[in-house]
Amino acid sequence: MSISINYQPTWLHRINPSFKLLVLTALFIGMLFVHNPNFLLYMIIGALLLYLFCTGHSWKVVGLLAVPLLIIFLSSSTTMIFFGEGETTWFKFGLIHITEESFYRGIHLGLRSSVFGILSLIFALTTRPVYLFYSTMQQLKLKPKYAYSFMAAIRMLPIIVEEFQTLRQALKVRGVQYSKGVKGMYEKIKLYAIPLLAQSIRRAHRIAVAMEAKKFSKDSQRTYYYHLRYTNKDVLFSIFLVVWLFLAFICSEHFIVFPVEYVR
Amino acid sequence: MLEIKNLRAKYPSATSLLFKDFSLSINKGEKVLLVGPSGSGKSTLLQIMAGLIPDVIEMPIKVDKQQISESYGMVFQDPDAQFCMSYVDEEIAFVLENRKTPQQDMDDFIDQYLDQVGLQLDDNHVSIQQLSGGMKQRLAIASVLALEPEVLFLDEPTAMLDQVGTKQVWDTLKEVSEDKTVVIVEHKIDHVLPLVDRVIILNETGSIVANGEPNHIFSQFRSKLYQYGIWYPNIWDDYASQLPNHSHGDKSHQPIITMHSFYGYYLKQIKMHVEDAEINRGDWIAITGENGSGKSTLMLAMMQLIKTSGEISYFLSESSRRCDYRKMGYVFQNPELQFVTNSVYVELEHSLKHSNVPQYQFVNRIEEHLTKYNLYHVKAHHPYQLSVGQKKRLSVATATIADVDILLLDEPTFGQDAKNTFQMLELFEECRKNGVTIVMVTHQPEIVELYATKEWKIKGGEITDIFDLSKQTENMLKDDIYVYQY
Repeated sequence: MSISINYQPTWLHRINPSFKLLVLTALFIGMLFVHNPNFLLYMIIGALLLYLFCTGHSWKVVGLLAVPLLIIFLSSSTTMIFFGEGETTWFKFGLIHITEESFYRGIHLGLRSSVFGILSLIFALTTRPVYLFYSTMQQLKLKPKYAYSFMAAIRMLPIIVEEFQTLRQALKVRGVQYSKGVKGMYEKIKLYAIPLLAQSIRRAHRIAVAMEAKKFSKDSQRTYYYHLRYTNKDVLFSIFLVVWLFLAFICSEHFIVFPVEYVR
Repeated sequence: MLEIKNLRAKYPSATSLLFKDFSLSINKGEKVLLVGPSGSGKSTLLQIMAGLIPDVIEMPIKVDKQQISESYGMVFQDPDAQFCMSYVDEEIAFVLENRKTPQQDMDDFIDQYLDQVGLQLDDNHVSIQQLSGGMKQRLAIASVLALEPEVLFLDEPTAMLDQVGTKQVWDTLKEVSEDKTVVIVEHKIDHVLPLVDRVIILNETGSIVANGEPNHIFSQFRSKLYQYGIWYPNIWDDYASQLPNHSHGDKSHQPIITMHSFYGYYLKQIKMHVEDAEINRGDWIAITGENGSGKSTLMLAMMQLIKTSGEISYFLSESSRRCDYRKMGYVFQNPELQFVTNSVYVELEHSLKHSNVPQYQFVNRIEEHLTKYNLYHVKAHHPYQLSVGQKKRLSVATATIADVDILLLDEPTFGQDAKNTFQMLELFEECRKNGVTIVMVTHQPEIVELYATKEWKIKGGEITDIFDLSKQTENMLKDDIYVYQY
């Protein structure tokens, strides 16, 4: 079985993966200190533009992956809106208690988790794992033994998926029945996890032996098949970021959508 | 030169020694084949000669002299457990990186090594997962060649390949190994013999029984090879000659499964189509065809394990015309995925609990099956602790113990040694004589000739030919009526 997703590489794919990772991590951390929902609103517009037009994936993939984003937005904002605390009551019905404070806090929370989600998706959709690990070895000096372990693990994933399907069929043929409720869940996890783990651990051991037999050594002196450098795409990305954040800031000052400036 | 002197080794958990005062030396440029029964420690010996034990794999060994070659390459058995990268070019590049080859030379080297093993791809950046088993093993050889080794160790490189793949791999190895020292461990040796200068036979306790030229070994030790389950050339003739004359016998015209305009789907695509076919009670149907032709898909569809459409009727005893797993046994290729309990005994009991067999018969029946399938001495073991052959027999036993009407087997003899294969074939034949219908996917033309009552040839997801073999005489092996092409 093989499911492959086709895409057109865009400039986002050509950004140095380590640089992309560091920038996005910085954005994630920085966003925790943003308390103005207007700013987040304008940030999300920029992120959405990137997500919709620059990942190089088909509309089907982009659209399909947007569904969980929407769910994240709705679930994280509504729980806060409906059940959060506040003083200026707008609406009250049983457990549901919507106040002005909880409403804005909910919107803020929803926007923040959506920006997180969109940026992570952009990263996942535009970064080949192999490039990421080569780049972390070259730019961030990650030890090869860790990088190659991760890459070997990625190689095993499709095999595990295939095994999972066979296992499901095999258990059906063996007439396995599960108890109801939590106990049934436990039985299921046990029946699936043990064979899959046993196969994977054995395979991992064999791959490790094969790697050492191919003279993979612990010293980090090695050449690289892929050379990942900083390019003008990284400059472009940096400019985009600065302009984007600047515009978001200006807009949040002048075109105020939510009449609050400080939410926490 | 490789040399081992007075080797003592044991598995960490074992009580007895695997090797005791074992010595072996192999000259530069020599090509040696090591054979022996399963569990005689051949693969371990290879790893000791390569120096992987004790450097990489921990194992208590004691040796007076262990002269190894720094420049070696090893090809392993499992095509899915020797690559760490996901793409063909990256895998060879991994070796080149380890050897500190400058990046600008890598593409040329990759082309060169792939060319040597006959893997011409339009684009070297191909997902390894898409390759067939034979291609994967040739890629494994290419990545080993990238080490520019003086010594090649081959640890059953074709155990998990079909005939076509096996031939391709040995043809490739013949070409690339000319100037190298080669040490081979292998069970299927038809294609290996023209390649080697010397054959060494090990026995169960890891001592050398014979050591000599291939011709000499085959004239003198043929019965030993048969006993150890080595797939030597013409072993099927030897096997057939000692078989009692059996008839394909009591053929009924009672259908057990009929199919009409029957389709099987995978990921919403039609993968298999049967216009009209029926399986009668007492049949032994062999499904043959190339890799990826849809043999397993057909079996999964008959078991309703994938999405199907069209007409399929089951005529099983004690049930309506539905697919009923209590009356239908299925044996997957990887037996481990079928085990659901913690011991051999309970595994068999589990099958009975889901059948219509009355409880008071359980103990007798389990004991009987343990004996018949030669598993009595391991009845308390965890299924994962069994040997490859025992696992396979247990997975068959769990299917047959519950009085099934029909048994579907997906390449049950694949990767098994000759001894276990013959043992299983006889068990299947006994089941068939007791009224169980057998449907099996196989690549082995000899099994089709000796046992099958019908052969279904599959190509592109369709049954292209159905041969009725039950009308043939006993001496089928001698007059080749069909030309099998695999």
